[in-house]
Amino acid sequence: MKFYVCIKQVPDVDAPIQIKDGKLIQDTDRMVLNAYDASAVEEALVLKEEHGGEVEVVLVGPDKAKETIRKALAMGADKATHIATSGDEDYDSATYANILATFFSDKEYDVISCGKQSQDTDAGLAGSMLGEHLDLPYATNAVGLEAEEGTLVVKRQGDAGQEIIGLPTPCLVTCSNDMNEPRIPSLKGIMQSKRKPVEDVALSDLDIDESSLQPKTKVTGHMEKPEREPGQKFEGEPEELAQKVATLLDEEENVI
Amino acid sequence: MSTLLTHIAISDGKIKRSSLEVLSHMRQLAEANRHTAEAVIIDAEASNYVDEVKKYGPSTIYTVEDPIFENHMNTPLLKALTKVMDEAEPYIFGFGSTESTKDILGALAANQDAAVLSDVSEFELTDEGIEAKRPVMAAKILSDNVAEGDRILVSVRSGSYDLDEGDADADVVDIDFSIDDSEIQATLREIIGASGDKIDLAEAETIVAAGRGAKDEEGQDLINELASVLNAGIGASRALTEAGIMDPSLQIGQTGKVVSPQLYIAVGISGAIQHVAGMTNSKVIVAINKDPDAPIFDIADYGIVGDLYKVLPPFIEELKKIKG
Ligand SMILES: Cc1cc2nc3c(=O)[nH]c(=O)nc-3n(C[C@H](O)[C@H](O)[C@H](O)COP(=O)(O)OP(=O)(O)OC[C@H]3O[C@@H](n4cnc5c(N)ncnc54)[C@H](O)[C@@H]3O)c2cc1C
Repeated sequence: MKFYVCIKQVPDVDAPIQIKDGKLIQDTDRMVLNAYDASAVEEALVLKEEHGGEVEVVLVGPDKAKETIRKALAMGADKATHIATSGDEDYDSATYANILATFFSDKEYDVISCGKQSQDTDAGLAGSMLGEHLDLPYATNAVGLEAEEGTLVVKRQGDAGQEIIGLPTPCLVTCSNDMNEPRIPSLKGIMQSKRKPVEDVALSDLDIDESSLQPKTKVTGHMEKPEREPGQKFEGEPEELAQKVATLLDEEENVI
Repeated sequence: MSTLLTHIAISDGKIKRSSLEVLSHMRQLAEANRHTAEAVIIDAEASNYVDEVKKYGPSTIYTVEDPIFENHMNTPLLKALTKVMDEAEPYIFGFGSTESTKDILGALAANQDAAVLSDVSEFELTDEGIEAKRPVMAAKILSDNVAEGDRILVSVRSGSYDLDEGDADADVVDIDFSIDDSEIQATLREIIGASGDKIDLAEAETIVAAGRGAKDEEGQDLINELASVLNAGIGASRALTEAGIMDPSLQIGQTGKVVSPQLYIAVGISGAIQHVAGMTNSKVIVAINKDPDAPIFDIADYGIVGDLYKVLPPFIEELKKIKG
């Protein structure tokens, strides 16, 4: 099976951040492979190990994102395409989906996969946009994948239950990090990744019209989420604490 | 005068409250800006829900009724939504942010060449479109966003708006729908673990959430008992859904669900930002954790430092007395 996995480099949400003039500034500039994409890479590798085939990662992003491509290659992906942007563009999910759709328009594959959302923005739109552009059957929020002849079987976490969906290939799937625990690259994997092919593609190489690079949404500012007022913390004998807090919830808060 | 249309989601035979929250807000926006608020119900038995939706004051309710909508599948839903958009020509099309909405929102925007903002926590109309706030960076930060154009899709986090009833004299318009099997490439083979009587966490008034600290059988029994005394929904941290101890649909947080109950009791949960992202809008937060430095205490209104196995039994007894 030929897998294309779309990956994204995102700021580490655990690193300290500041807001200057409405923009997010991360002093450490710590960037990581989006956790949901890491699960998509992992699952593609598992299916390749079981059924054979090839795993290629595709990343749209600035030069600095090469390190994230290397990470996916070190995990075991066979090759990569880097669609380079300056990193200063204010692209939204739709622009990224347009770029990827143009890239895939002349490609052959069984499955395109990606994370169900980006860890930084949580937008969760690009996957199904890409599915629509390419007119592929798709499923989102996958927590498990299995391959059958000509079919990808997706276990999707729905609102209540888990849906088992058969998608005829070629198809598209977006992955939850509930699907697996992505492998940590081994030293050997890291060494090998340096010799794996990375094809550089410029936006101008793609036959993409200017209008589909115009975002329809913009981020105009950021603010810290108002913090909750610090509450009361009780230590001591369990019985006393239990009684005290239960009474407070009943009499002060009226939530029992 | 433009149309502000709200999608009314139905799941397990019930209207999702988050859709009615969106409809309430849209109707208020329509009233303030001389637009019309309309609603659409797409379901196997859509007409059953019309009377309930009327209460929230849309001027028109569209129904799309077909047996295919008994279970969620993205292809038929997308087809129905595009038909509805052709018919109603909405300026703004609002959705409650359910898993089913997340499944189709991007595709619908691509299909309709519409601007789209997902999972917003508030939004208002501007002259060119909407401006909205979205939690980002695992909900540590709120971003300001604008979406412009003549067709804008927006999905709203549950609990963002209060329900507000209005004039109940909507016109009802049934939209003809059919879909051929050959149009649907995907096959829904099976649905596992869906049960109609589970409390929907997104709508629960009280939630008891269990973390790694409560992973053994005794811990689970205590959680179940606490939840039953409080008539609460049970939620979980990723540590427990990942370990297969709790059903994956119960996960609360960035990957899981966003909840906003009156009372949230976190038991044996450390308070990682990805968990907090899903529950920080709870009215009252209680944390029970044996580590006095656990980050969950930074956001809890009432923190009990202690071993949950020692704290929960007397806590449950006290609550039983109060409930009397
Ligand atoms: C992209 C991404 C998305 C994520 N999404 C989510 C999400 O949606 N939801 C989510 O929950 N997590 C999510 N996580 C994982 C998250 O970062 C944490 O790993 C997870 O929340 C930890 O669960 P926990 O608090 O139960 O476990 P731990 O962090 O291990 O904490 C267990 C706590 O229990 C306490 N404890 C242990 N024994 C006792 C006892 N006897 N009595 C009292 N207290 C006790 C300990 O002191 C500790 O604080 C996500 C992570 C990533 C990277």
